[in-house]
Amino acid sequence: MTTTRGIDFAHLSLKDALDLAVLVEEEAQERYDEFTHQMKTHDTPEAASFFAFMSRNEKKHGDELRARRLELFGDAPRSVERAMIFDIEAPDYDQARAFMSARQALTAALASETKAHAFFVAALPAIQDPKVKALFAELRDEEIEHQKLVQAELAKLPPSEDLGDAFADEPVAH
Amino acid sequence: MSNALPVVDKKFEPKDFKSDLKPIWCPGCGDFGVLQSLYRALAAIGRPAHEIAFVSGIGCSSRIPGYTTAYGFNTVHGRALPIAQGIKIANPSLLVLCAGGDGDGFSIGGGHVAHAVRRNIDLTYIVMDNQIYGLTKGQLSPTSPRGLKTVTSSLGSLEDPVNPLLYVLGYGASFVAQGTAADLPGLAAIIEEGIRFPGFAFINVQSPCVTYGEDEWQIKEQRARMKSLESLGHDPKDQLHAMDLARAYGKELYTGVFYRNPAPSPTYDQLVLERQKEKGASAPDPARVLDSLIQR
Amino acid sequence: MLDNLVIGMAGSGGDGIVSAGETLVAAAATEGYYGIMTKSFGSQIRGGESSCRVRISSGPVLNPGGTLDVAVALNWPDFLKFGAELPVGGNTVVIYEAKSGVTADKIPIVGVTPAEVVAVPFGELAKKMGGTDKAKNTVVLGLLAGWFDVARETLIKNVAKKLAKKGPEVVAAAERAFNAGVAYAAEHPLKSDMRMAPPKDGRGTKILTDGNDMCAAAAIFAGCRFFGGYPITPSTEVMQYLSREIWKYGGAVLQAEDEIAGVGAAVGASFAGVKSMTATSGPGMSLKTEMIGLASIAELPLVVVNVQRGGPSTGMPTKPEQADLFQACFSAHGDGPRPVLAPTTVADTFGMTVEAFNIAEEYQTPVILLSDQEIGQRKEACTPVDTAKYKVVERLRPTPAELEDYTRFRFTDTGVSPVSQPGMLGGNYLAAGIEHNEKGDPTASGAMHGKMNDKRHKKLVPLVHRRDLFHVEGDPAAPLALISWGSTAGVCREALAIARRRGISAKLLVPYLLFPVAEEVYHEFFIGVKAGLVVELSHQGQLYRLLRMYVDVPRGIRSMCRSGAAPYLPEDVVRELRAATLGLQGETAETRQPQE
Ligand SMILES: Cc1ncc(C[n+]2csc(CCOP(=O)(O)OP(=O)(O)O)c2C)c(N)n1
Ligand code: SF4
Ligand SMILES: [Mg+2]
Repeated sequence: MTTTRGIDFAHLSLKDALDLAVLVEEEAQERYDEFTHQMKTHDTPEAASFFAFMSRNEKKHGDELRARRLELFGDAPRSVERAMIFDIEAPDYDQARAFMSARQALTAALASETKAHAFFVAALPAIQDPKVKALFAELRDEEIEHQKLVQAELAKLPPSEDLGDAFADEPVAH
Repeated sequence: MSNALPVVDKKFEPKDFKSDLKPIWCPGCGDFGVLQSLYRALAAIGRPAHEIAFVSGIGCSSRIPGYTTAYGFNTVHGRALPIAQGIKIANPSLLVLCAGGDGDGFSIGGGHVAHAVRRNIDLTYIVMDNQIYGLTKGQLSPTSPRGLKTVTSSLGSLEDPVNPLLYVLGYGASFVAQGTAADLPGLAAIIEEGIRFPGFAFINVQSPCVTYGEDEWQIKEQRARMKSLESLGHDPKDQLHAMDLARAYGKELYTGVFYRNPAPSPTYDQLVLERQKEKGASAPDPARVLDSLIQR
Repeated sequence: MLDNLVIGMAGSGGDGIVSAGETLVAAAATEGYYGIMTKSFGSQIRGGESSCRVRISSGPVLNPGGTLDVAVALNWPDFLKFGAELPVGGNTVVIYEAKSGVTADKIPIVGVTPAEVVAVPFGELAKKMGGTDKAKNTVVLGLLAGWFDVARETLIKNVAKKLAKKGPEVVAAAERAFNAGVAYAAEHPLKSDMRMAPPKDGRGTKILTDGNDMCAAAAIFAGCRFFGGYPITPSTEVMQYLSREIWKYGGAVLQAEDEIAGVGAAVGASFAGVKSMTATSGPGMSLKTEMIGLASIAELPLVVVNVQRGGPSTGMPTKPEQADLFQACFSAHGDGPRPVLAPTTVADTFGMTVEAFNIAEEYQTPVILLSDQEIGQRKEACTPVDTAKYKVVERLRPTPAELEDYTRFRFTDTGVSPVSQPGMLGGNYLAAGIEHNEKGDPTASGAMHGKMNDKRHKKLVPLVHRRDLFHVEGDPAAPLALISWGSTAGVCREALAIARRRGISAKLLVPYLLFPVAEEVYHEFFIGVKAGLVVELSHQGQLYRLLRMYVDVPRGIRSMCRSGAAPYLPEDVVRELRAATLGLQGETAETRQPQE
């Protein structure tokens, strides 16, 4: 559930905005890493490799944003932190399922990109600094690009039934 | 990473509390979110991990200490609270957390809850309530609704559930709250508040089991149902009203603080320190411990 | 003059006979005597039958003695309820309340003719001199002081001290009652002179305490700073003592909601780096077993004291038995090892308790200290323990270098790995009941489980080579052997001495360490042994059977066992020992006649 805490969008500086964007990408990257691991541990390899792919994407975006931040502001101290954002672009935990199909994994990722897009759309009206506005608009549009990327991947999949755990072993009691 | 962002002017990040051990919960389990919220709360609290003791019982949920960098103790079924209290008394300067499942806390370990409450010992107890026994594969739990069909109640259970909120309020607990894995920021805030509370803090967390739980308990459904107590205008100082609201457990999903005693009794651990200080002033030599037994 | 005097007294609770016994043994101790006092009660909380047995001796004593030298019956029905606990023999002087109307030749004791039978008007004297017949216990004390010449001065002083709170009139009345007893003794001398010899080491200082207080005091000495427990007879005094004293040393006591919580809190305190203990008896022990398994796998030091009582279940809460040995050794799920130690007297409860802590710390393991009701609750006057003789061991903690890359359960040569505790930077780890790898992370690997079991067992191996945890005495070449443990060992040590005086040559082995079983020690002891007894108070003969499980026990070694409640008397053991000599080739009981 996308949430922010203590962010004053009206007075967000460009530096803070860039930092926030980086944190959003970091959060998403971490979540995809977690999902990758979950899928690997639960014998769901296709979803695992897709989530790993998503993680790499998020890292790439993160790196680009980080580079821009460094260029513009060097190592000036950061005044926004991870605690201010929650699940902006990271897929919700309940999106993951053991034995989920690649299609389900992609759908989960698509939902996250949609969620992120909505976040930037919602934030934009409050922003006053034109540079920040421009950045957020850019990020918003990028989310559309990400959505397209995921949709393209989805299109590559043969239309399939989601079999879930129909053929899987019973869970194990401990 | 060479182009890492400069560190914020704050001591801790949630990831400082994340261990290398990877959770083996089922993907989609509510417990992932609880863990995430806990990392947040701990970062906000700002105590280093080595000053935190995190105790649990046995169950899926009870695996949680291992996923943090705190000193963890994954003990035996139902006994997290006694062990946590021993730790707190032995070293009151530690931040002591306790967590486990609904079965762990209200079935086998139910007897211990009252006593932690009446000692008002300064620790935070998080029950990850999924209305089911997860680890042992979906048996009836003490918080399962009446009539629930499980592998041990194949014709439907014949009992009413325990109401964890009312149970703890009834014993006179000074801090009682409920959160849900469907609202992680809210949960993080509640956990943080519980930890900061000087005394025994009980937090019931609706954390669904995706593998054995009913569909209507899952995150999506919870999200649609949950109502914050704040939005209802509830005053957490009002114990009676808190109890009234708590009666809706199982019907309504209220989140937030039900009751926060504005004047809690001194904590057991604090009283222990005071007594040690008072009695220990004479600081006798242990080698002379038998002197008082000399027959004069 | 006598070196030993065993006095058994019984009455109803209101008679204050136990209180008289306490005053007597305390006064004797003040005057430098050694002594032991045991008490026994009916099941009422107040006012049931009660009895005590006071043994006063000029030298050290190891058990409450055998057949009574003096029997005091304030009323016969109550006295008789104690049966074998107060055995009257041919050498016993029987003193009883004259008001009972029973004539000296008709006392209700069958099968023996006591040496002397004296009816004393206790109640009447008390009423006349003390103003109330309630003072008859004080008359008894005066009488005993007069006839047996024990601690007269101190006795009267102590009686006065004890009653001081009640006001000068009560004190004066008590003094008159006491003197009435003394005077009565002077006017009615016994046929034989039964005055006590002075203490062998003069007026040497004695401590007077019971096993439970001794255990608690020793725990403080050993560094115990946390106790978690739940009241249960006959162990509760351990918690009571600590709840008064431990705070002074910076420790704490938690009276938990049940035994599980009690031991759980102790496990928690140990995890937090504090030496901790719990104490209980049979039923409570059953509840604690799961936590003992936890301490075993998490490798946390923990001392669990079981003051054994008659069982199973509620059984006989105020009576001794040694039937929890199997439970102590084997109430483990999985291959969870735990050293089991047993003291044999109040005096050696000190050393054994310290040892229990030291072993727990050294090997990071739960240790069970098996005391019993008799040791736990009997009062013993003994020479003060020289605490300087005992070292105190601390658990191995990680060095700063080890904390750089800490591995909680690192495999080492000894099996012991340094243990950190919350608050130690870098030492963070997960303690758990689940099997783990060296780092402490959960594992489901059978190979790792095997290695960890190796580790947990290996670290205890040095224990079975600890000869100081065994006491051997008697003729090393004797073909006749005794093995005994716990409070019964004290009976056997005396039996061995009596047997020696009667020309029976034997040797005795007392294990303080019962588990792991030190096979080598027993094998060595059994060299040349043809016959003998394993003596214990349990229906099944649990030590005997434990030995049969681990050790090649010579065929001539029998189990001498029965249910508890009434402890063995030294004579019982001597009798069986003599019978056992029949098992020795070419010898019969007749060839080994008493030479006393
Ligand atoms: C003494 C004992 N009895 C039973 C068990 C088996 N057991 C392990 S976890 C559990 C219940 C788990 O349910 P809950 O506490 O609700 O935790 P969840 O797995 O749902 O998080 C049971 C019965 C045990 N470990 N120990
Ligand atoms: S069984 Fe249920 S509670 Fe356990 S990990 Fe799986 S989803 Fe979570
Ligand atoms: Mg549960």
